[in-house]
Amino acid sequence: MFKNIENYKLDIDNSFKENYKLYNNSLNKKVGNISFRVLPPSDVSFYQELNLCNYNFDIDNDIKKYTNDLINLLDKSYSERSEIDDNMIPAVFPILGIGDYSAFVAGNIIFQPETSWGEHVLKNIDDWKNLPPLGTSPWYKKFLNISEELIKKSYKQGIPYMRGFFSPLDLAHALRGEDIYYDFYDEPIKLHELLNFCADATIKFAEDIYALVEKYYKNTKYGMWYTKNQINMSEDIACMISGDTYREFCRPHTQRVINHFGTGYMHCHSRAMYLVKEICDLDNVVHLWLATDPNQTRPIDNIEQLVKDSNSVVVAIDCERFEEIEENYEKMKNGNFSICLPVSSVEEGIEMVNRFNKLVSSK
Amino acid sequence: MILEDISTLLQKGKAKEVKVLVQDALDQGYEAKIILNEGLINGMSVIGQKFRKNEVFVPEVLVAARAMNFGLEILRPALVLQGNKCKGKALICTVQGDLHDIGKNLVKMMIEGKGVEVIDLGVDASPEAVEEAIKQHKPNVLCLSALLTTTMMNQKVIINHLENKGLRSSVKIMVGGAPLTEKFAKEIGADAYAPDAATASDIALKLIEG
Repeated sequence: MFKNIENYKLDIDNSFKENYKLYNNSLNKKVGNISFRVLPPSDVSFYQELNLCNYNFDIDNDIKKYTNDLINLLDKSYSERSEIDDNMIPAVFPILGIGDYSAFVAGNIIFQPETSWGEHVLKNIDDWKNLPPLGTSPWYKKFLNISEELIKKSYKQGIPYMRGFFSPLDLAHALRGEDIYYDFYDEPIKLHELLNFCADATIKFAEDIYALVEKYYKNTKYGMWYTKNQINMSEDIACMISGDTYREFCRPHTQRVINHFGTGYMHCHSRAMYLVKEICDLDNVVHLWLATDPNQTRPIDNIEQLVKDSNSVVVAIDCERFEEIEENYEKMKNGNFSICLPVSSVEEGIEMVNRFNKLVSSK
Repeated sequence: MILEDISTLLQKGKAKEVKVLVQDALDQGYEAKIILNEGLINGMSVIGQKFRKNEVFVPEVLVAARAMNFGLEILRPALVLQGNKCKGKALICTVQGDLHDIGKNLVKMMIEGKGVEVIDLGVDASPEAVEEAIKQHKPNVLCLSALLTTTMMNQKVIINHLENKGLRSSVKIMVGGAPLTEKFAKEIGADAYAPDAATASDIALKLIEG
């Protein structure tokens, strides 16, 4: 089970304070903020250790077993890195692959040990009109049950609950499959209707999850850190379309979801560096996690362009060597960045954080 | 002029118009092979180049490929009648454990755009399914796709399986997918690696032509 959140960081209040400052400055268009995180193996090993095929999520006892196993793995991970004083904030979150990101609307989840897929349930673009009402699908209820069980086991220790969502386009793609790429040309009006439905679905699902979070966490110090006035969304499928298409089809619907909650914490891939400007130009986006794709341009090699395109939004990127941070530090100060450096051990992580702090104080 | 129009309309994904113009070109006495090469394949080559340079994206490639198929529907009987053969045959799939198919589909369409017949085994293809398909279709090239770091090793599993079954030397193998590298392709014993769909179609043709 979890320990109190204070046990997982050297100074948890300061960690929250630094993060708050970073995002508040981003919202107020103040640049020059560079935040740092290391990624020891223990930060990701729990994804491999949790075998999703081991659980039957239909049964209460099984959900209890799943949530216990997950929390134990997260506790182990956070405990191992508790001496690392970087910007990472511990959180509790369901790990179900990505199938649940669309199955909450309709369809089953196909589980594999480390991931999952949702079914493409919309054979025709209009089929969303025939789906059962939002909130009535089996996985909608299951997901809320799993989340409540996780929250019950975490809120007293002050571990914030975190949940990301598909953007309207990502959700539409998950429900519709690859046919959606033809819809841009064949059924533009109906595609807008589908994306509008997906925005509604995301808003309702997130509202129901957030209500659950508020029920348990409202009197905790940091429990609503990842949910209050914000929405986390991926724009993965946008990497397959042009900036013009994004503006025409995605922007209005993604913006509506962000507006509903207040601020947007977005995710995209370096495959689509050209989309950074489009996403960061959305109103009230404060964070963009730009994951580095293999065989593609690396964000760390394009800091000047990212500064120009990011409009003071915090761009979270990774690098391979600490020297890359040193080489790009002055350029990064013209924007807002959160840098992640993979390390081979906790000891190396501690060393890199010290090195980063020295770099900051020397500038 | 009509061949240029076919190429231009194909690039815009205007499938019905391409179909009409291909028929018009045949009616005007153009050889089927000329319509194929200077109209349809030319159009897909332009789309492939633009895709490589991020000037067009997945939806544009898919509607262009669909337009090509509309044109081919009309052209195919004439091609056969005039004694034209495909440049070769490719077998393509996404490997076992991986359900991603957009990359595989793009490669398939680009290779078809080079005048090569493509047999598509779909996603989650087992080594046994690939073995059977090679025996049945006798392709010149086998194209293996994987998007996940957890499934890319299944490309090696298929290559090993084909070696064990004595089929490896009968087919050239090209691998691709987001997490792959040239180095990985060599390590697992593939003949070629393609970083993107347009390059994949060029390499497939080279492998076929020897």
